[in-house]
Amino acid sequence: MNIIKLVIISLTVVITSLSVRAIDLEFYFPVAVGGGAAQAIEKFAEDYTKLNPDVNVKAVFTGSYTDTDTKFLTACKSGTAPATSVMIAVTIFKYIDEECVMAWDDILTQDEIDNWIGGFYPAFMANGQVDGKTYGIPFQRSTPVLYYNKDAFRAAGLDPENPPKTWDEQLEVAKKLTIKDSDGNVSQYGIRIPSAGFPYWLFSAIVYGNGGKIMNDNGTETYINSPEAIEALEKLVALSTTEGVMRPGILEWGSTPQAFFEGQTAMMWTTTGNLTNVRNNAPFDWGVAFIPGIKQFGAPVGGGNFYLSIDTTEEEQQATKDFVKWITEPKQSVAWTKATGYVAPRAETWESDEMKEFLKEFPYPAVARDQLEYAGPEFSTYEQPKTVSIFNRALEAAVAGEKDPKTALLEAHAEIDKILKDYR
Amino acid sequence: MYSFYKNINIIGAWLLGFLWLLPLLYAIWASIHPIEYQVKFDLFAPLTLYNFENAWSQAPFARYMFNTFIYVTMTTSCQFILCSLTAFAFARYEFPFKNILFGLVLIQLMINPEIILIENYKTIKFLNLIDTIPAISLPYIASAFGIFVLRQAFKTVPKELDDSARIDGAGALRILWHVYIPLSIPTFLAYGLVSISYHWNNYLWPLIITNSEETRILNVGLAIFSMEESGIEWATISAGTLMVTAPLIIAFIIFQRQFVESFATSGIK
Repeated sequence: MNIIKLVIISLTVVITSLSVRAIDLEFYFPVAVGGGAAQAIEKFAEDYTKLNPDVNVKAVFTGSYTDTDTKFLTACKSGTAPATSVMIAVTIFKYIDEECVMAWDDILTQDEIDNWIGGFYPAFMANGQVDGKTYGIPFQRSTPVLYYNKDAFRAAGLDPENPPKTWDEQLEVAKKLTIKDSDGNVSQYGIRIPSAGFPYWLFSAIVYGNGGKIMNDNGTETYINSPEAIEALEKLVALSTTEGVMRPGILEWGSTPQAFFEGQTAMMWTTTGNLTNVRNNAPFDWGVAFIPGIKQFGAPVGGGNFYLSIDTTEEEQQATKDFVKWITEPKQSVAWTKATGYVAPRAETWESDEMKEFLKEFPYPAVARDQLEYAGPEFSTYEQPKTVSIFNRALEAAVAGEKDPKTALLEAHAEIDKILKDYR
Repeated sequence: MYSFYKNINIIGAWLLGFLWLLPLLYAIWASIHPIEYQVKFDLFAPLTLYNFENAWSQAPFARYMFNTFIYVTMTTSCQFILCSLTAFAFARYEFPFKNILFGLVLIQLMINPEIILIENYKTIKFLNLIDTIPAISLPYIASAFGIFVLRQAFKTVPKELDDSARIDGAGALRILWHVYIPLSIPTFLAYGLVSISYHWNNYLWPLIITNSEETRILNVGLAIFSMEESGIEWATISAGTLMVTAPLIIAFIIFQRQFVESFATSGIK
């Protein structure tokens, strides 16, 4: 009798212990901004595991966006991909092409598609959806804004609460802010729009502001040969040549905030991912405004999304979904915005009390949110690495004065067209 | 005339040395001064250790340091064992297809490790070693470069020494251990230095094959400061770089004379 009892008890113990075994949920994340992004993510993983003991979230730091891309694809090709990964939004076509990611729609209910997916700002969904299906859930998303030195505005007799709204106003203000010493050397430039590394990003802001587009939604055609794009590049090049309000030559992206802090430039265009950096390090009074456009406001979005691995069990998919839903909730989203300056991608986050509290002491993230209304997608096509590098090279050649803007863009368009022809 | 050229040589050497040192000097400057003084070179700028604290707190560098030490030691010692055995065979034994086999070994020098990333990953997965320190070492231990330089060194050992040891009844391994290796110490040192600094700087493979704090190495931890979107914080990255390279730099300063001599005698420059 006793033996049977013992067997039954031990069997029950074995069965229950099997059923509560925690699922390991691995996810890759790149770090592209300062301010303790990595610590914030590790804390999210820890908090979630505490709240959900049946899931063990393991956040794996994977370097830059490019490194993460390589690591994810290598793991995917060897059948050990993590359940989910944060990767740059614009390489979406590549991951679909390589059959490494699946649409979130496949594991969501209609209600979740309407209310959860529907709750993200449309501007951020633009780089995450293909053929009406959602592959990328917005997470570390940003957009460029104009940062300006209010002290420099005052010194030049400009109203610090009235930043430029159009390209022409920006040019006029920049002329007043450009200071030359007695030898004719410029000690403070009016503006700095960095052009090294990935010039296409800020350049597309000028194109959107000129009423143009840079590509179609399917990633199979670009419009960088349009009159709007050519005019945009001519205006950009003119800033440092004929107008003399921007330092000539290729301007580094990474050292732009530093140049702003040191007063080498009175205004700069850079990502909202720099809000925390500027907040901590600018030794003067500063402000943030919409990117001034030639005809209208306009800016691209940027940054990384959550992708769902194709190589996942149903159990992992459900756990991943719950985790990603949790991390995009207002509470976590506000913490993330505070740590990094990334724009919280859901409207409900901005209506939460935590966010309102935060905006009271630091209102600038809201400028980026408001600009989303005018924002367009980031440049994204099939064969992304190739097309982007052709586009970048053309822009750099024009900025460096090696080619005139029109020739540079027409040549780049022809070259990209040859690559994309096969995908139409 | 001779002293004129000698002076030019000395000035040139100092100039080149200074150019080489410049990045390191800048890293020291940036890491011990507050962020306002990154490019403002004021001799009386206030000093701070904040950048080191900040960098140290962003990743578990102590653990990474330990992992790096294990990984580099493991790789280099395995390379010494495997490469000296292989090099010995190629230098002193006759066997069928010897030249073809040696050619195959040399082909490895021409293959960029990044090309076989996925294949290497699959092999490691098959061995069930993903996310372990041996997995970082494994693809590198059969080093073609090591086999090549050690074979060259062994070939310069006089055959007579080999013969006399053989007459005294020494076996192959004993001859290798007592005759060839002692005579090739400078080559071992030089090759060891090249190998250690290469593996200390290795980035992509360790990043891809490891996932946890327990297996990651310093260089991967350093990537946390790259921040391609927001721009680089020179102060933090300089402090981080100094911490990561310090063990190697200190080791080099201590063993400088031996290193320089071994490079001079081994002919690897």
